[in-house]
Amino acid sequence: MGLDKSETRAEFPIVYRWKHALPSAPPAELLPGTLDLLILRTLVRGSNHGYGIAQRVKELSRDVFQVGESSLYPALQRLTLNGYVKPEWGVSDNNRRARYYTLTPAGRKQLAAEEREFERIVAAIRLVLELA
Amino acid sequence: MRIVRRLAYWLRLSSHHADLVNEVEFHRALVEQDLITRGMSPAAARIEARRTMGNDTVMREEARAVWLWPSLEALWQDATYTIRDLRRNPTFTIGVALTLALGIGANAAMFSLIDRLLFRPPPFMVDPSTVQQVYMYRTSQGKESGTGGQYARYADMARYSTAFSQAAGVRLKGLAVGVGEGTRVRSVAIVSAGFFGFFDAPPVLGRYYTPTEDALPDPAPVAVLSHALWTTQFGARRDVLGATLRIDAVEYTIIGVAPKGFVGLWPYRPPVAFVPLATYARSEGPPDWATTYGHSFGIDPIVRRKPNVTITQASADLTNALRRSYQAQYQGNPAGAPLDRLRPRAVAASVLAERGPEPSSALRPARWLAGVTVIVLLIAAANVANLLLARAIRRRREIAVRLALGVSRRRLFGQLLTEGVILALVGGAAGVALAVWGGRVLSATFLPGTEPVSIITDARTLGFSALIALGIGLVTGMAPMAQLARTSLVADLKSGPREGTHGRSRLRTSLLLLQSALSVVLLVGAGLFVQSLRNVRDVRLGFDADSVLVVELEMRDVRLDSAATVALRLRLLEAAKSVPGVSHASLRESIPFAGMSSYPLRVAGVDSVRALGEFHTNAVSAEYFAAMGTRILRGRGFETTDRGETRPVMVVGESMANALWPGKDPIDQCVRVGLDSMPPCRYVVGVAEDIHSESIEPELKLFFYYMPALQWKPQEGGLFVRAAGEASAIAEPLRRALQREMPGTAFVTVNPMGSIVGAKMRSWIVGATLFTAFGVLALVLAAVGLYSVIAYNVTQRKHELGVRLALGAGRFGVVRLVVMESLRFALAGVAIGTGVALAAGKWIGPLLFDQSPRDVVVFGTVTVVLVCVAIVASWVPALRAARLDPKTALQAD
Repeated sequence: MGLDKSETRAEFPIVYRWKHALPSAPPAELLPGTLDLLILRTLVRGSNHGYGIAQRVKELSRDVFQVGESSLYPALQRLTLNGYVKPEWGVSDNNRRARYYTLTPAGRKQLAAEEREFERIVAAIRLVLELA
Repeated sequence: MRIVRRLAYWLRLSSHHADLVNEVEFHRALVEQDLITRGMSPAAARIEARRTMGNDTVMREEARAVWLWPSLEALWQDATYTIRDLRRNPTFTIGVALTLALGIGANAAMFSLIDRLLFRPPPFMVDPSTVQQVYMYRTSQGKESGTGGQYARYADMARYSTAFSQAAGVRLKGLAVGVGEGTRVRSVAIVSAGFFGFFDAPPVLGRYYTPTEDALPDPAPVAVLSHALWTTQFGARRDVLGATLRIDAVEYTIIGVAPKGFVGLWPYRPPVAFVPLATYARSEGPPDWATTYGHSFGIDPIVRRKPNVTITQASADLTNALRRSYQAQYQGNPAGAPLDRLRPRAVAASVLAERGPEPSSALRPARWLAGVTVIVLLIAAANVANLLLARAIRRRREIAVRLALGVSRRRLFGQLLTEGVILALVGGAAGVALAVWGGRVLSATFLPGTEPVSIITDARTLGFSALIALGIGLVTGMAPMAQLARTSLVADLKSGPREGTHGRSRLRTSLLLLQSALSVVLLVGAGLFVQSLRNVRDVRLGFDADSVLVVELEMRDVRLDSAATVALRLRLLEAAKSVPGVSHASLRESIPFAGMSSYPLRVAGVDSVRALGEFHTNAVSAEYFAAMGTRILRGRGFETTDRGETRPVMVVGESMANALWPGKDPIDQCVRVGLDSMPPCRYVVGVAEDIHSESIEPELKLFFYYMPALQWKPQEGGLFVRAAGEASAIAEPLRRALQREMPGTAFVTVNPMGSIVGAKMRSWIVGATLFTAFGVLALVLAAVGLYSVIAYNVTQRKHELGVRLALGAGRFGVVRLVVMESLRFALAGVAIGTGVALAAGKWIGPLLFDQSPRDVVVFGTVTVVLVCVAIVASWVPALRAARLDPKTALQAD
């Protein structure tokens, strides 16, 4: 699908410095309703702030999913309204005040439920693709 | 749980907003830092970071929208914004609110009136839709006319009809209530016992009478007081039961008091007491009052349909019952009832008199007035729409900027709509206040003698007003929205007077034309009605109604023989003449406009007098012609020598003389009056001028003649008394002087002739007054609208006018430019309005008197008025335009 960033970098002499991040394949559209799922999943290992969550999703998906702020924050608000995450003010790595989101027990339950649902859908799509 | 979180969020709204801002700022800072580490310069990184973050405001709004109900929040924002804006422009707000108040107020008042006339059922009535009033008709000599009213007929209808669960007989009559000096004629409800079963109105004291008390052979003299009479005349005493009240000829025992607001079927003439039908009929009628078909008490049956019986079925059942009643009536007759000739017919009609087959004269003008008030509302709405549009056009640039910033069009539409609705609600509230005042005026005009219903407590009218206000708000809000839909962002951002073109909005122009045209229509109507009224007042009635008082005798239970009655009348005549301020007094048998007598006539040489028309008569004494101001054209009037023993004489009207003896001298002609086989000749001794005896309209086949009172039924009738000065001034002294001569419980009533005649003129007076009022209102509104458009145009054209002035146009030229524009609007409106008025002429024609609906004078006057108003409306803006300083105007933006 796309070249691995590190491979590309290795072929060129170091005299060049890239001004912008090299774009790999264009970012894909998230399947509707999956943003909440991804956010919840990233918070399993610990709380994070909005930027951190977006970065993590970007890294883990190898740049396929680049969550924009315009969809991220409304999603976080939604999750807060539903009681799946709890925001708290804390201090970030570089000593700035940031809002950290923690997964609540209800959130964990919801995550498990959504994961199951996602698997079910994907399995169904796969079936259709293979057998049709 | 979510609701709780929502509320908690809402309570600390601003701190949450601040939190979000900080959070997003933090995010942006990190993005910036990330870009710097990748090699961007700090400045470029900051710009790039901001760019990739996207539309901050939209995102924040979306985030907030998760928590709050967005439409509600939007509504709240729009509302506060609108109110702030309106407070900043008080003249605009007041102008709009006032305009709307006038339009909505007029309509609310009108609705209240129409509602009471046409829709509102009598209070306390159970299930009014099933209650019907019965109207009965029969055909005689080819013409169908109303019949009924006999006790026997009512009893038959109740007995023979099968489609009804309840039946009652009702009659509302003015009867003398009380004794002695305090006697007054009041409305009394004469109703059968079953009447109270139609209502859910338990008495506050005592009880209602039962069917046994209201039945043959011995109906009881019991009465139920109305709440109003109980409080005013009996001081709301609880010991009033068992006391007596004299009504007409019977002493009634009070057995109960009706609840407050219970008026039976008559909210416009609330009865003071309720008495049993049978008791009254026995006291007023002949000995066979219960079975005779020859004496009518004016009883109307009311019935309640059984469930599942339709109105047509009910009418058919009633017709059947009426036929059987006629058969019973003609039982003794070997030929039976001539049903084919009589064709009896009964109709089950609405219990609201105005919706029945015989609506009163109050309804027709009321319908027209409703149309007029709708027109006024349209004009007011057009005005407001114009003003709102002007404002929207002024704010074009502001709106374009907001659109560019990312506000959705839907949101802007919502804001404009909210604006329209808030203005309309403010106007509506003011309108209701206006309607309370206007409603009282309308009530007094259309339904004199009724209690005006307070509009504030009248839920239906309030609901109606709110509905119109909302409707107007939506409609007038749409005008700027139409403008908004056509905005092109770029053009509007650059907009300003320097565009060069005159940005004339077609919508505004057409609204203005609509206003002018409608005003013209209303003013033409006003002019026509005013002319009609003048014509009506100018009609020569043949007598001077304004100076004459009508005296009527109410004998009650005093029974005098004819000789004693004649003596009484003569005594009263003398007493009347001796009252200071009286110039003439005369006996009379009938009253013009209030029921004239008519007898068969036979004239030698004329085959059928009846074929020539109707002949009305009055039996009067010597001073009649002087008292009434009717001129004698030939021969003489009557003298005191014309008595029972002397030669029978008569005076004929002019047209009667011409009809019976064309070309010949009517004096000494012989006329036989009456039903006897060969009544004696009456000789004509004089010819009097014609009078109007029934209506103000020309009476073509109606003839009039007079006979001396002492020669024809001398015991019947009352007096006419002429005042030397104002009739109303001597009314009370006259009444007291005459009352002293009256025996026992009998009494006299004195009423000005003017009020009897005036009642006939009422519909024209009403039409003229209200059309004029509304016409002027419409004109004022149209003038305001014209002024606002012209003023706005001048402001828009400041740049262009500055150019003209700079290029050498005189100040007068500029003024002429502005005024000509105004005149163009006015004349175009006049043209359209005239067209509409001419077309509508054929509907308004029947309401006018002696007046063509295409009167050139009226149309011409209206045109001139509108042109003058247009000039005046444009005066101030024109002067302002003339005083422009070309330098500043050219630099203006």
